[in-house]
Amino acid sequence: MATEYFEDVQIGTVREFGSKLVSKDEIIKFATKFDPQPFHIDEVAAADSIYEGIIASGWHTASMTMRMMVDHMVSSRAGLGSPGWNNLRWYKPVRPGDILSVRSEVIDKKRSVSRPTMGTIFGTIQVFNKNSEMVMSFESLGMVLAKTTGKE
Amino acid sequence: MKKQYWEDFPVGRIDEFGSRLVSEAEIIEFATEFDPQPFHIDKEAAAEHFFGGIIASGWHTGSMLMRMLVDEMLINSTSMGSPGIDELRWKAPVRPGETLSVRSEVVEATVHKYKSDRGFTKFSYVVSNEKGDVKLTMTSTILFLKETEGDV
Repeated sequence: MATEYFEDVQIGTVREFGSKLVSKDEIIKFATKFDPQPFHIDEVAAADSIYEGIIASGWHTASMTMRMMVDHMVSSRAGLGSPGWNNLRWYKPVRPGDILSVRSEVIDKKRSVSRPTMGTIFGTIQVFNKNSEMVMSFESLGMVLAKTTGKE
Repeated sequence: MKKQYWEDFPVGRIDEFGSRLVSEAEIIEFATEFDPQPFHIDKEAAAEHFFGGIIASGWHTGSMLMRMLVDEMLINSTSMGSPGIDELRWKAPVRPGETLSVRSEVVEATVHKYKSDRGFTKFSYVVSNEKGDVKLTMTSTILFLKETEGDV
């Protein structure tokens, strides 16, 4: 696959990828380490909670999304990392047996004024379950290397 | 300690807590599963990279923040979860051997529009290492049950 530089990134490009089956064991393992709230790690307590059963930590869903992005997007781009992201929302709980997939769209791109050999790509990342219900979304920011300074 | 309700988090409340040593093994373990980019999992590749050594996945740093929040604030609270995160910024790489801690400030508190037994609390968090270098900032919201129903 050709390396994708700042100039190659097209606004409006949509990519759909990933098929991540979420197991109960994985949910409990992640949450035991990073988010040990009863509705993530304790089946009995979770059944009595507003979620009526074990659900994945939102950070677990986000981390599984990152893995799908690394496998399908990041490796082809001349990426320089990310400064962060905006407006992450969890719409629906992710439960054992769900299968997650990702839809990414390039919304905008801006060349850096101070360092014109790089730019920022603005995107939206949406995550769906097997019933095509959106479970999470966020607005991504990615820095990417440019081939030129844009002034040649 | 008394269970913490929405009323226990007034605007301006500041808490400082956490002492999370980040090991190289943990960084590699997390990133191998969720963010297998060379500068997170491969010592030699990371040394050649502009980060100059292995750094933690940003999602790992976020997850470690989550764990400190659960241990300090959420486990003994009426938290019903979070609708999302408004903004997250990775300010500097997190490296093996660093010890992370959190400063949390309540920036907004609003009663739920339709359900008067609960309210939203918006927190601003700063994660720093043992020298006070800022590594991550985040603004996010938690839904808590109220101790007494109705407006305050």
